[in-house]
Amino acid sequence: MSTQRRFPHRVGHRGPSFDPALDRRSALKLFMAGVAATLASCGRPPEQIVPYVEMPEREVPGLPLEFASALPLAGYGRGVIITSIEGRPLKINGNPRHPASLGSTDVYGEAAVLSLYDPDRSKAPYSDNRIQSWSAFEAALRPRLDSHRQQQGKGLAILTGRLTSPTMIAQLGALSQSMPEMTWYRHEPIGDDAVREGASLAFGQPATAIPRFRDAKVLLTLDADPIGFGPEQIRHAREIAHARRSTSPGESLRIYSAEPDWSLTGALADHRVALQPVLIRNVAIEVARALGASLRQASLPDEVGPFVQACASDLAARRGAALVAAGLRQPAEVHALCHWINKQLQGPVDFIAPVDPVAVGHIESLRKLASEAGAGRVDTLIIIGANPVYDAPADLAFDRIVAKVPFTAHCGSYHDETAERCTWHLPLTHVLEGWSDIRASDGTASIMQPLIRPLYDSRDGHQVLAMLQLQEASSGTLDIIRNQWRHAAAEGQWDDWWRQTLQDGVVASSSSPKLSLPPARLPSIAPATAAENFTFVLSPDPSVFDGSLANNAWLQECPKPFTSQVWGNALHVADADARKLRLDDGDVVELKQGDVTFEAAILVRPGQAAGVLSATLGYGRENAGSIGTGIGFNAYRLRMAKAPWLGGNFSITKTARRENLLRTQHVFELEGEAEELQPRLTLEDLAKGNFHFDRPGDNPPTLYPAPHDDTYQWAMAIDASACIGCNACVIACQAENNVPVVGPEEIAEGRDMHWLRIDHYVVEERPGFSPTPCMHCEHAPCEPVCPVAASIHDSEGLNLQVYNRCVGTRFCESNCPYKVRRFNFFGYADGDEYGNLGADIAKAVFNPNVTVRSRGVMEKCTYCVQRISLARRAAEKDGRPIREGEVVTACEAACPTKAIDFGLISNPQSRVSALRADPRSYALLGNLGTRPRTTYLARLQNPKPDYGKTRA
Amino acid sequence: MTMATITDASAVAEPQRWLLPEARSLEAVNEIVCAPLLDRSRWSWRAWWIGFCVSLLATGGFLVAVFLVLYRGIGIWGVNTTVVWGVAIANYVWWIGIGNAGTLISSMLLLMRQRWRASTNRFAEAMTLFAATIAGIFPIIHLGRPMYFYWLTPYPNTMHVWPQWRSALIWDFWAILSYILFSILFWYVGLIPDLATMRDRARTKLARSIYGAFALGWCGSARQWHAYEILHLALACLGVPLVVSLHSVVGMDFAASLMPGWQETIFPPYFVVGAMYSGFAMVVCLAALVRWGFRMEGLITIAHFDVMAKVMLAASIVMGISYGTEWFNAWYGGERADRSLLAFEFTGSYAPMFWALLLCNVVIPQAFWFGDVRRSIVGVFIIAIIINIGMWLERILIIWNTLSHDYMPSMWRLFLPTIWDWITTFGSLGLFALMYLVFVRLIPVVSMHEVRKLVAEETSS
Repeated sequence: MSTQRRFPHRVGHRGPSFDPALDRRSALKLFMAGVAATLASCGRPPEQIVPYVEMPEREVPGLPLEFASALPLAGYGRGVIITSIEGRPLKINGNPRHPASLGSTDVYGEAAVLSLYDPDRSKAPYSDNRIQSWSAFEAALRPRLDSHRQQQGKGLAILTGRLTSPTMIAQLGALSQSMPEMTWYRHEPIGDDAVREGASLAFGQPATAIPRFRDAKVLLTLDADPIGFGPEQIRHAREIAHARRSTSPGESLRIYSAEPDWSLTGALADHRVALQPVLIRNVAIEVARALGASLRQASLPDEVGPFVQACASDLAARRGAALVAAGLRQPAEVHALCHWINKQLQGPVDFIAPVDPVAVGHIESLRKLASEAGAGRVDTLIIIGANPVYDAPADLAFDRIVAKVPFTAHCGSYHDETAERCTWHLPLTHVLEGWSDIRASDGTASIMQPLIRPLYDSRDGHQVLAMLQLQEASSGTLDIIRNQWRHAAAEGQWDDWWRQTLQDGVVASSSSPKLSLPPARLPSIAPATAAENFTFVLSPDPSVFDGSLANNAWLQECPKPFTSQVWGNALHVADADARKLRLDDGDVVELKQGDVTFEAAILVRPGQAAGVLSATLGYGRENAGSIGTGIGFNAYRLRMAKAPWLGGNFSITKTARRENLLRTQHVFELEGEAEELQPRLTLEDLAKGNFHFDRPGDNPPTLYPAPHDDTYQWAMAIDASACIGCNACVIACQAENNVPVVGPEEIAEGRDMHWLRIDHYVVEERPGFSPTPCMHCEHAPCEPVCPVAASIHDSEGLNLQVYNRCVGTRFCESNCPYKVRRFNFFGYADGDEYGNLGADIAKAVFNPNVTVRSRGVMEKCTYCVQRISLARRAAEKDGRPIREGEVVTACEAACPTKAIDFGLISNPQSRVSALRADPRSYALLGNLGTRPRTTYLARLQNPKPDYGKTRA
Repeated sequence: MTMATITDASAVAEPQRWLLPEARSLEAVNEIVCAPLLDRSRWSWRAWWIGFCVSLLATGGFLVAVFLVLYRGIGIWGVNTTVVWGVAIANYVWWIGIGNAGTLISSMLLLMRQRWRASTNRFAEAMTLFAATIAGIFPIIHLGRPMYFYWLTPYPNTMHVWPQWRSALIWDFWAILSYILFSILFWYVGLIPDLATMRDRARTKLARSIYGAFALGWCGSARQWHAYEILHLALACLGVPLVVSLHSVVGMDFAASLMPGWQETIFPPYFVVGAMYSGFAMVVCLAALVRWGFRMEGLITIAHFDVMAKVMLAASIVMGISYGTEWFNAWYGGERADRSLLAFEFTGSYAPMFWALLLCNVVIPQAFWFGDVRRSIVGVFIIAIIINIGMWLERILIIWNTLSHDYMPSMWRLFLPTIWDWITTFGSLGLFALMYLVFVRLIPVVSMHEVRKLVAEETSS
């Protein structure tokens, strides 16, 4: 397995190949087909969809419409409200009514619109190396289906990802009723097998824990990352940020974290130890013993002693508000032990019946399919929305399994690795193109509305299942969905119910009922000993998650937390190991375990447990499309069915090769800059007030006139304490402001375009994040240096960039102490390789309210001036001032922890005014006299005051 | 002040130093200067043709690079989001610095009654003109949207938008524009009597009519000489403040900012001295070449090199003191960003270049303390080249160091030059050489009338 990145070459997406000897008639036919396709392109779906509550009855050209829907991630839904302008869905926002969104978004949700307009999406059924039609597929399938029906479905298998759609589950149920011998397999690469097993072990029945972090005062995470990337990120992040908002040491949530590599939760934690993954269980055992469990004593490294001691006493002291959470990489017994500990602590956890109805584990399900197919007992395999050839554990060798099945049909949005090996590939609609329904991880159901008519000749999963049921597929998904929900309300009220449900984006009171469970049993769990060789840990990628999003250029160019790496992944090696092996960033190493060898470029990670190698999944795609193919290495090759997240006993040797890892923020040894730019306070410091910041205010004095006091004055306050570094704001800004993608070559040249970046500094081994947009300085250094007055200040305190006046001297960026301006070196928005060469459909993603900048122009954060303008127009029409909270910038809207606040400092009662007056408030580089309008609240830490001072 | 007093004073102080015996007659001067241009068959132009072809090639490279910059955008250079300025700005500052020396030699030395300037000022002024022209190209092609460079001028337009007068770039724009106009005027005025000499001595009708047209009817009457002297002196008086303001403004491009390593009040004078330094170094190189190419040993003597080496020595000491002052203030000021930048200069990624710059600009020129070095043309020539390299390094490092290592460590990035950075740089040298070669072939390379005055002075005493 080579890790050679091949991004300079555009690997062509496999598609139709026309006969070169095209005669006149076929040429004309194709031409007419093209014309017809153009005429029938973008448009509203044929069925009626219902706008979100406050929206007007009819669409006003240029005014955005908003529709509620939901987007899936790993099979679970996150509610969204989608802004659509002139028939094009353009911006994903959170749905405040949805429990998995709470009005915020994550990177994957924000980036979904780019995938919709991705020119590489699969456009037509494909088989025998040529474009086919759906009816050809139906004709090919029909005889097989008939024979399967006669044999009760014997030999027919369906493989999906995790399904929570009530309609689709019902459709599958109906299908297996008519064909009892048919088998439904499901595999989600980011699976939770151990979590589920752990619950069964503890309670004797399947259950899903729903921790209430907002009620917690002490939290111990054992290799768990509740605020990490996944379908529950937003909810968990919001709850934990809420629990940490209090500045009183007793009230604020204190987090203890024991983990092998860095997680977002670990970065937030007040006390963290890095431990080999096998030793995590020893921490759990020791904590359980401290709470009275009769378990064999587990040995731990000396430095972990104070951690366990402090943590156990803190947990015990906070009975009723103390929680322990284990991560999905940990084995079932650890989960079961955590349930037992939580029961002892009376921790704030609820339990529900699993939302994913399949009891069999993800890996187990796939293994069964592999063995059935391997034994030749599967004749027809229909894969819907899964890509097992890419993401199945390596030892299942799924590419060979698929080849053994005589008839395989892959339904997916891309002609991916699995499509390549199947006899048929069928294009699946994008989630914004079709009706469906989905449940969140707490069971809350949503109806997914299409925002646009399918751009291509694609169908959704419901239609495919209907086809297998021999239903008329053209009957439309909407009817299938409506039939499924027909029972949800009484006959006479159903239409109102349906309308309301679509408006709200949430099916009212559909969250799963709480289970009352028997007390958790203490599992039999034996302590582990430290591994001698290297252990491998995998995790979903902060950018491309499980790899299915690899062709999304926004995500590829989204700097990963901690490392700021873009366009690729790396093998993370602890600094202690790197020193020992003389490894440096970019060195390519060879991993060996038995006869498996694997090459990857490394990145040295201080703070990772020694002896641990970590990597993210989702890279090394072979058929992702022109953006995602051939980037990084495929860590699924290291995944084995018996241990999907951890691998043991690797040896590592350095090779002579080096790779240039692309990072947007480089690592330097600093001498106090980080403390100055990103100050941290403990709650104790804050209470005592022994700190000094450059306050946003009148220092240093100036001769310039004060800003206008007769109009709006805008400002932003960012709570560095609440920022978890999840990047949602970065992608939200990109989507809202037409920020172009520059591609890996340009990143290598140091030319990123993100208007909003997240700075990451480490102070005393504690990482911290601070989102850095334009500071909109009252005395902006960029303004006096511009020779043509393209950088100017408006009366409301905005530092504006007039794109069509800019001649591109770049003096403004030279003179910007914050370096937040971005120069468009090439026409990145149009004609650029990674902007899909300006393909017409790729242009559809542009927000018409924001200028698409041309080459040679400086651009930067505008505080979403287009949103201010929209609010101003609305206010002026009503003859009233703009209200507090009426203007929400894209970054502010996206933030899961509500770390960003935007508003008026001309209104002394506003939230922003209050935040600027907070003792924690500081101006970045305020001593330069720039008087920034963007200010920060210092990062807070809540360490246990007597940590490490007493020993048990 | 009359020329008589100047003559008297200098003649007493330094008798007969600046011309060798073979050039000590009026006709000999005319012959030495005019012969190569008017009697070409007697001269071998081989070296000239070789130089012409090489510089034509380099100019071609420059034109290709400029075309590509205009066509593809400045992204073909190594500039990035953090280091948004690069080689183009450094080249601009370097060329404009070189462009300073001609005027300094012509006007400042004229006002200071340094008579030896007579045999060097013509080619030094030509150097000024060409260097300033090339310097003027860089700020335009470095723009993101060069087609709108005229927005820096206050031209009447329907939107009533004017330039932004607080920007140092606007000051710069006017400084360059006025300097180029002045240079052309000054150079041409000084050329008129010599053009008339060329007209009178030309053997072909074509040459006679072209030189005649540009001589503007000069006949050498007392009235014309009187008017000439007044105009020339007046222009010289204008030139000195202009040359000082020009490079002060270039210094303010950096000083009127907020960045560590740029925001320094020492920049304007320090830039002026730096400009004189690199300009003199370039004049020395050209003097050596002209002397060799036109066999002007009689006009451009060892004594000239000796005195110019002394000027460079003085400049190198001032530069050294300026560097030291910068470092001291960065440390003494106590600002973290300034101190951190200072440490980065000496130990960071560009440190080898920084040490090389100190070696070139401060250490090696100390050899000029030795008379033997000053009086060795090869020695002075080599050190002058080294000084020019050092001054280019200084200009590029002022940009790279500050921009690569400013207030935000999260955005610290390095500049990695591309092939087009180098082609633009060396191509501009080619363009300069090309213009210079055309100049020496068409126009008297030494001011005959001023040297004749020198002859008169030296032989009369």
